[in-house]
Amino acid sequence: MNTIKLNLKKLLLFISLLIVSCGGIPEESTTSSSEKKAFSVADVLIMVAHENDITRTLYTKAIVGGGKKQGFKFDEEWQDEKVEAGPLPALFLRGIANDIRKGDVPLGLYLSSDFPISASNQLVGKQADLFKEIKENRKPQHFFDEDSKLYTAMFADVAGAPACVSCHNNHPKTTKTDWKLGDVMGATTWQYPADSLSYTEAMSVLKAYRDGTTAVYNDYLEEIKNFKETKKPEVGEKWPSSGNYLPAPEVFIDSVRKLSAYVTMSSLMK
Amino acid sequence: MFEINPLRKRQFYGILIGFVIAIIAISSLLFIKPAEEYLSIGPMNTGHEGFSCNTCHQDAKGTWMQQIQSNSEHALGLRKKMVEFGSLPVTTKKCLSCHDRDNDRHPTHRFLEPKHKKAIQKIDATNCATCHSEHNGIRVSLAQGNYCMNCHSDTKIKDDPIDTPHSELFKKGMWSTCLQCHDFHGNHQAEAALFMKDTIPLSKIKAYFKGGDDPYEGVKKFKALSEQEWIKKYTKK
Repeated sequence: MNTIKLNLKKLLLFISLLIVSCGGIPEESTTSSSEKKAFSVADVLIMVAHENDITRTLYTKAIVGGGKKQGFKFDEEWQDEKVEAGPLPALFLRGIANDIRKGDVPLGLYLSSDFPISASNQLVGKQADLFKEIKENRKPQHFFDEDSKLYTAMFADVAGAPACVSCHNNHPKTTKTDWKLGDVMGATTWQYPADSLSYTEAMSVLKAYRDGTTAVYNDYLEEIKNFKETKKPEVGEKWPSSGNYLPAPEVFIDSVRKLSAYVTMSSLMK
Repeated sequence: MFEINPLRKRQFYGILIGFVIAIIAISSLLFIKPAEEYLSIGPMNTGHEGFSCNTCHQDAKGTWMQQIQSNSEHALGLRKKMVEFGSLPVTTKKCLSCHDRDNDRHPTHRFLEPKHKKAIQKIDATNCATCHSEHNGIRVSLAQGNYCMNCHSDTKIKDDPIDTPHSELFKKGMWSTCLQCHDFHGNHQAEAALFMKDTIPLSKIKAYFKGGDDPYEGVKKFKALSEQEWIKKYTKK
């Protein structure tokens, strides 16, 4: 009698061959991962922190400081519909940090202080301990955060413009009223998940920061468009120091580039 | 392994072919939009009703056979990384592609900072799903509205404007009262009440958690993208 024999081994072999014949999914290999890791994470964070210093100082001095003399307003609630104002420098930085998080570059940026206006920005734990050293020697602190498995660096955030001091000293919710120009008012904390970066990755970090700056600055200009009671500044080539003007985003970013170029290029050409 | 009587040969192949056709037909029907609700593990949360599975569950790379092969290779040490099987995990980043906004008072990424380590051990605020677990047919999946206590037990209010000071509310552990004035994401234009009697009753907050009407007055500062808006924003022309 003819019988059809189905053998389990043959069946499994057939299924295996069928699956293998499809071919697997290629291993992901990005261009950057095959590139030489030319920079330590510390080098890159120092570079981008410098860019941040330049951006913050320029914004605080030229836009906030200069703008206030022209009657521009800056407020914590700048995005509220009822409030016709621009972002305060700390919120400008937070806006940049938010924008970076929207992209694919895994860079974290935070601003904290030992005497913050908002309690949520209070330094605690290891960050508070390291900040004491930063206050003394103003040198960055680099460490690996075991909990988040992220390479972390803290940098002094110095009162670089009179507006920093006057606004913080006179703020209704201030926790310290005797800030002076040049004081270390807080620290920026940066985090990145790798100990070394390729040239492409280092450039992506820098680009993410600059794109964040442009995005927040554009948000500010969008807010201005909706001003109803406040006189709108003219946006273009000129700065508030010349009158009722605000630089266009590309003008502002160009100035940041010029001011940061030497240090940034030196870092990249190492 | 097993034998088939030749007299049953036609019957066997008939059953086999019928079985394969049935599987293909059922599978095809299950993956068309009207059948998605039968595949879903539970009703979509408030505001997500009518979403396609693919709005959140993006297909993983390759076919399932390629995925099996790749993961088998990984198990045998022939490749470095495993691949996702079926669909990609739904991450916070996915939620933020519709819900991200600059005016969020508690953006998820802020809790990644080392100083929030202890707090996120109690409540993982870095992850949307901690409070908004999907497929529950509600808005907020936390049972209690007292989560503010995880970070704000030391909060001090200067020139406290409300008749029952915040310090007293904290001392008495009345953490559910926070939401009676403040919405977590700060997405409403409304002013906080100055008297406890004017605050939003907790019952209304709880009803809102379960998908009820918005109890917070004032204009919403931000509205999440609809599925169509999301498609328009993220689909390349």
